[in-house]
Amino acid sequence: MRVWDTSHLLDTIPADRTTAEQSFDQADSQVNIARIRLHFKQLQTRLILGLVLGFLLPNAFLASYFHFEFTHTLKKTAMLNLAAVAESQKNTIDLYLQERVVNLYNLFHSKDFTLAPTPAQMENYLYYLKQYNDGFVDVGFLDAKGIQIGYAGPYPTLLGKDYSNETWYKNLFNENKSYLISDIYLGFTKVPHFTIATRQVFDGRTYVMRATLDPDKLFLFLRAISQGKEVESTLVNRQGQYQVMDSGRSRLPGSSEYIPPGTAASGVEEIKRDDQPVLVAYTWLKETHWALLAMQPVTVAQAGMYRARLVLSISFMAIGLVISTIVFFTIKKLVARARRMAEKGQQLQEMLAHASKLASIGELAAGVAHEINNPLAIIMATSGVIRDMLNPEFDLDHSPEAICKELSVVDAAATRAKGITRKLQDMGKNRVPCSIQCDINVLVDEVVNRLKKVEFKSKRIEVVTQYSPDLPHILAEPDPLRQVFGNILINAGDAITDKGTITISTEAKEGTVYVTIADTGKGIPPENLPRIFNPFFTTKGGGKGTGLGLSIAASIVKYLGGTIKVNSLQGTGSSFTVLLPINVQATTLKEQKK
Amino acid sequence: MLLVDDEDIFREATARQLTVRGFNVLTANCGEAALPLVQNENPEVVVLDQEMPGMHGSETFLEIKKINPLVEVIMLTGNTSVENAIELMQQGTFDYLMKPIDINELLYKIEDAYTRKKLNEEKQ
Repeated sequence: MRVWDTSHLLDTIPADRTTAEQSFDQADSQVNIARIRLHFKQLQTRLILGLVLGFLLPNAFLASYFHFEFTHTLKKTAMLNLAAVAESQKNTIDLYLQERVVNLYNLFHSKDFTLAPTPAQMENYLYYLKQYNDGFVDVGFLDAKGIQIGYAGPYPTLLGKDYSNETWYKNLFNENKSYLISDIYLGFTKVPHFTIATRQVFDGRTYVMRATLDPDKLFLFLRAISQGKEVESTLVNRQGQYQVMDSGRSRLPGSSEYIPPGTAASGVEEIKRDDQPVLVAYTWLKETHWALLAMQPVTVAQAGMYRARLVLSISFMAIGLVISTIVFFTIKKLVARARRMAEKGQQLQEMLAHASKLASIGELAAGVAHEINNPLAIIMATSGVIRDMLNPEFDLDHSPEAICKELSVVDAAATRAKGITRKLQDMGKNRVPCSIQCDINVLVDEVVNRLKKVEFKSKRIEVVTQYSPDLPHILAEPDPLRQVFGNILINAGDAITDKGTITISTEAKEGTVYVTIADTGKGIPPENLPRIFNPFFTTKGGGKGTGLGLSIAASIVKYLGGTIKVNSLQGTGSSFTVLLPINVQATTLKEQKK
Repeated sequence: MLLVDDEDIFREATARQLTVRGFNVLTANCGEAALPLVQNENPEVVVLDQEMPGMHGSETFLEIKKINPLVEVIMLTGNTSVENAIELMQQGTFDYLMKPIDINELLYKIEDAYTRKKLNEEKQ
């Protein structure tokens, strides 16, 4: 079964082409080119955005993910490193203090130790202590009542002083320890220092050996062990008061903003100092109630990460920029090439359409020539016959009746030629809008009844109708519609040799009226199917058909915004379906073109 | 001679004119009907319409030549083009005439075709 429709036909049927219409075509062409350019511009934007985002977004996501993981890991590492530094420094400080305690304690066991040391002995003790560490400032020996009975150092007025009410002295006995390292305090000398004291029992009485340590020296020692680690270390007591200080100061040092918790032996926290994030590692000393604080700004602790992040960001941006640039220019180039090809294609298509129109005009002209020349040939031949009749040489019947008979043949041929030109005019003319509501069922019935009286009379044709009872009306001119159905029905009748059936059905669906005319005739050969709507194409010989019926029908239906579909099987029959849109206001051809 | 054309009135009128001018004219309304006449009646010249339902004029011409290669064929049509005319002449038609045609012109062509046929027969 071959199928064909007429939707392309009006494009190839030449209408009256005026200069105005040609200008309209040129404007159409410019609009098409502008549309192509807009389309490719949008395509280019979409492609560039798509490719760039398609590359950048996943990479940005990956970069963010790795940055987050990297930051987290590095922060933990920095904290662990700082805690290790603090722990190491604490151990060093503990060891330093233990050594000082041992230095002092050893004095009780020196060979010349007596419970009533002479000033020379005390000077020897101080000399001995300073040999081990120059942080020792002085040394004193206290009897069982807490009176300093021996002293060597820069404050001789301290000899004879009663220390029994001093805090460190009381703590030495309260803590039940044989030695004590005091917090930094002013004491009798009114100079910041701290005291190391050891006690020893002789004959049931407790004697105390005390020495003063210079906090400057401890500060220098702490700084020495911190050097090169980019870590700021200090010592604080439980209340947060600093236990180290710069040299030359006569006041007690201040307090730290950060007071380490006494609940844990060590830990690391992030705090704010001058609005800058700072990592603080704390660890409590064994030998005294001090905590070592190791502080490091986060920017320093994570400097490596910041460098890596900077390098990563710059690399990502540089690669992104390079790839975006390559993508941009490549796509621009490709799209420009595709656009040029599309424009060229459009131009070729327009040239082809124009050439096709010219070819159609040529075909039409050839068809017209053939159809007009045939009746002209009859006229000429018949007039030749009349001339022969009037020629005495041939001795033919030249009675008026005989001549009138020949002249009627001439008339008939002239009428035939006139019919062809009239049909051509019908096909080409622009129609005016019409607002008549047409009942297709009634229209088809009228046409069938007329055909039954003339065209179908000589054959045994049964017409079966299957009309949809609620078929919507079509806004159209009834006469052209009658012509459409009439032309198709005449062809259906001609296709039936002697006996057959024509089935007409109507239905409406999806805003369209379908009128199907099916016959049980001989069908259309497949090779003819593409040509049946062409002007002057006919298979009816002997001047019976002009070849314009289906062409005119297609023209009218196309004008109404519809189409004709054809199914045909040679030897079985053909089915023509006219599709007409419902509620379509007819327009002129020019308006339709717009 | 044989005149083949699907236009009944033209065919009959032309045949009548040729007959009164002394030709023995056979007629056929289509290519299929013309071939048996060529086979059986052996016409000297065939005047053949090109646009016919069923077997086309060009096709009929080839079939006629298969039956009798010496018969001369004059193509007659209401529609022509230079390309079509050249193609048919190359295939061996004697001439190509456009409708409407003056009877005397047709007469001269038939006579020329007849003369050539006789010359060709003598050559063989």
